[in-house]
Amino acid sequence: MPKCTIDGKEVEFAPGENLVTVAKRAGVEIPVFCYHPGLSVVAQCRMCYVEVEKMPKLQTACSTAAAEGMVVKTQSEAVKKGRAGTMEFLLLNHPLDCPICDKAGECDLQDNSFGHGSALMRHSEERRTYVDVDMGPVIQKNMNRCIQCTRCIRFGDEVAGIHEMVAIKRGNNIDITTIDGKQLKTEYAGNYSDICPTGSLTLRDFRFKKRAWMLKKTATVCEGCSKGCNMEVQHEGNVVYRCVPRENLEINKYWMCDEGRFNYHYAQDESRILSPMKKSGGSWLVADWDAVLGDLRADLSGKDALCLVGTDLTLEEMTAIREAMGTISNHIRLASFGTAGVESTSLDGPQDAILKMKSKTSNLNGAEKLGIAPLSGPAKAETVVVFRGGRAQLPKIESGKVYGAGVFLERDRAALTAILPGLSFLEKDGVVVNHQGREQRLGRALTPRGKCKATGEILMLLMNRKAVSA
Amino acid sequence: MTEKTEKHLSEKFYDAMKGLEPRYPDKKALILPALHQAQKEYGWLPKEVLAEVAQYIGVHEAQIREVASFYTMYNLKPVGKMHLKICTNVACCLRGADGLMEFAEKKLGVRCGETTPDGLFTLSEEECLGACTTAPAMMANDDYVENLDIQGLNQFIEKVKHER
Amino acid sequence: MSAETKTLFAQHFWKDSNRTLEHYLTAMNGYESAKKVLGSMTPDQVIEEVKKANIRGRGGAGFPMGMKWSFIPKNSQKPKYLVCNADESEPGTCKDRQIIRYTPHLLIEGLIIGSYAIGCHHAYVYIRGEYVREAELLNAAIAEAYAKGFLGKNVMGSGFSIDITVHRGAGAYICGEETGLLNSLEGKRGEPRVKPPFPAVSGAFSCPTAVNNVESIANVPHIIRLGGEEFAKLGKIDKSGGTRLISLSGHVNKPGVYEAQAGSMTLRQIIDEFGGGVWKGKKLKAVIPGGSSSPVLTAEEVDVVYDVEPLMKIGTMMGSAAIMVIDEDTDMVKLLLRITKFYAHESCGQCTPCREGCHWMESLLHKIVHGEAKPGDIDLLVDVAGNIGGKTLCALGDAAAMPVQSFVKRFRSEFDAYVKGQKSHA
Repeated sequence: MPKCTIDGKEVEFAPGENLVTVAKRAGVEIPVFCYHPGLSVVAQCRMCYVEVEKMPKLQTACSTAAAEGMVVKTQSEAVKKGRAGTMEFLLLNHPLDCPICDKAGECDLQDNSFGHGSALMRHSEERRTYVDVDMGPVIQKNMNRCIQCTRCIRFGDEVAGIHEMVAIKRGNNIDITTIDGKQLKTEYAGNYSDICPTGSLTLRDFRFKKRAWMLKKTATVCEGCSKGCNMEVQHEGNVVYRCVPRENLEINKYWMCDEGRFNYHYAQDESRILSPMKKSGGSWLVADWDAVLGDLRADLSGKDALCLVGTDLTLEEMTAIREAMGTISNHIRLASFGTAGVESTSLDGPQDAILKMKSKTSNLNGAEKLGIAPLSGPAKAETVVVFRGGRAQLPKIESGKVYGAGVFLERDRAALTAILPGLSFLEKDGVVVNHQGREQRLGRALTPRGKCKATGEILMLLMNRKAVSA
Repeated sequence: MTEKTEKHLSEKFYDAMKGLEPRYPDKKALILPALHQAQKEYGWLPKEVLAEVAQYIGVHEAQIREVASFYTMYNLKPVGKMHLKICTNVACCLRGADGLMEFAEKKLGVRCGETTPDGLFTLSEEECLGACTTAPAMMANDDYVENLDIQGLNQFIEKVKHER
Repeated sequence: MSAETKTLFAQHFWKDSNRTLEHYLTAMNGYESAKKVLGSMTPDQVIEEVKKANIRGRGGAGFPMGMKWSFIPKNSQKPKYLVCNADESEPGTCKDRQIIRYTPHLLIEGLIIGSYAIGCHHAYVYIRGEYVREAELLNAAIAEAYAKGFLGKNVMGSGFSIDITVHRGAGAYICGEETGLLNSLEGKRGEPRVKPPFPAVSGAFSCPTAVNNVESIANVPHIIRLGGEEFAKLGKIDKSGGTRLISLSGHVNKPGVYEAQAGSMTLRQIIDEFGGGVWKGKKLKAVIPGGSSSPVLTAEEVDVVYDVEPLMKIGTMMGSAAIMVIDEDTDMVKLLLRITKFYAHESCGQCTPCREGCHWMESLLHKIVHGEAKPGDIDLLVDVAGNIGGKTLCALGDAAAMPVQSFVKRFRSEFDAYVKGQKSHA
């Protein structure tokens, strides 16, 4: 493999790689703004300067391909001066919003200014300001903070496929906006906030809620669909404040859709059932685990029963459910359910040209691999027990006794007669299989709230009940 | 982009564009000619016309807007019947353009960048027009008026007023 | 200056009747060169001839045209494009306008030959939007050429086909930069591109492209007619062949577009002999030698031979050969403010130093002129210019920085006077 030298260190590179990528491999972090590995190279911000031997002018590392024998310096006086110059220019018009800006603590402008800029302000002219536009429910725009890196424009064009974020006018007056107060149409708007290197584009959902440095970060997998986008849950005090995509070049690259990004809210909804409950005389009463498990055990023994397994559960949960049901009785039929119309992987497929899949559960492939056949025909039995993580859509159930084990909100109760509160994907570990057949691990971010129990525990308690009638 | 927009541009526009289509390998290359043609017909480029151009080219409205706003010759606001663009760049400046602009502002009763209340004149400042050896110069709509002096400018303005 | 000076263009200027195809055919060896090329030369031979001619690009960068054409890959399966840069927006420059108005067929014939040389079958002329009438004249000339079979399919029975389309810009100096021009041609904002890839590899519509200035291309029929060596000999200085059209403006008695054999005159001679000397009996103070982007010279520096390398040696440039003469009564600080305002207005806004820096320089100069500046502001201005020059995506940054640096260096006392409060905006 060809080699070049970066700050005296020899580094191998693949032909075509730019110096930002190659330097990273050598452990050298070159500051950037406009460069993003998932977007086209424009070399506009002029932050990633490096000195390349034999080239008279400073070169932008993002647009310079490594060459055999190239000697690169990233810490020379000229480079430092170049970077400081760029930082000075960028801060001429940037408002001192840090105290009220959500981006503080995870802001490229802050970081690069601290690392490469000057502490002195030589500019005392009036700053350029803009009137902001309403871009819709996902993104909050603050144009005064924008440093015109154009990552957002390129994202809209190259990834989201809608040329709705544009730069109008030119020179010092450039305004990056949607036109005529139009709201962003893309279903991937949340990514604008991820890629913006300043607080110019931020998530409305996260606005003013938590300082970035207070958040704990847990790696997991999105449960929104069978794509299995890699995701990071950001939380504090057992509350999730934000979900962002994690890089995975094989699956979601650097992105995730808004449906997946904001999906977590339901698990924190005020109306989520956190205690065992049963319907009695038309109204719902809180019960204790003993009582509800006792009823369920009795209703499963020797009777015609149907166990519906949500394709939003982990492999471990599905396996445990099948074993437990088998142990309890020979008369319990097993069937999977998830997204209406997408009962098998052969019916699954891309829903758009970017990431979204038709199956709106994370483990359809897993259920199939375990041999759990999808529900065909009506969900009809004397007793029905439903296990689900939260995303699987309940089919129409014809039964007098419907037990729901898993995550349910108040509005889901209409179809049920008893609830055994389980864990959401935020609260458990486990493996799910995406549409490509990749097995991926969830990462538990939160501890269970209320009286919620893990599926494994529910099943164990259920199996340990003696088969006596209520 | 997929909504049908009401037609503001004539058949003449579409015929002219059709004639140009075979000359470019990509329809988007017609954006600048289309904007020129539309402005020629309409006088300026309101949002509705830009939307229609977007539909003709087959791109998002925003794409037309970003292009139109980049170039100074596309009028995104209405202009007067006679658009005077006085060059005040180096060669013209050296030959007295600043005095001409001052005179024009007084004569027309507007500041540079504004339109007279009767909608007859719009006065703008312009960058180098490429008439440096016949400076000072200005554009009067599509024509150049060169070797301009205060007397000549005065006469020109008077002529336009009379021929209105 | 010798009366035997050869001119290739100037004798045809200023007469409307000279622009017709008929005049071109009967009095200007019209299309003889194209006939010769299409009938008896290979594309490689054409490029060789142009190389021998030592013709530097006449748009401002001065890059040898023959070498540029030789960069077009011959074995590429993609269509090739020849694009004529008629954006002429460098302040002080108005020579290409003359060529298009009075000798359009020289340009057309040059495009035919150049297209043949690089394998192009569709050439574009990107003409600045403000040249409305000039575009009409050029289109009329092109129509004449089509009618006579000099353009279109099977030109003059040679089997070679070539179309020319005139594409109007819409008011942006940055579209004179070749990749900004190409983006504008493609229907985008005229923002310059990152290089590499260079236009020879990926230019118009992602295809191999050569972008050349009007005057450069219009010289091609002359090169073929005279032969490359003879053309080169017209130039009186090494590496610069042919003649140069010079736009002479500002405080001279006879501003105009003049033609001189390359390197045959000094700047002073041009001002005195062509321009009739400084106007109104005034003394010379300064000269901007190559368009407003070029570093200014004082009156003591004008005995330099007017060509690319001599000018480079004294720290300025020939650029687009646009000479602006400045008399003793001129306020250099105000003039610099106007120049800087131009670059701030024309900046495309892509890269940080130009977008933010040009506007900052304009603000600083505005403060200086209006008596609001602090003592350190002049040095700050020069430092800011230093952070722009050499640090931008395209040459506009350098073009904005060089006037600031050169004006302050050579006329520092005027700037100091403003800051000290000895002078203020009248």
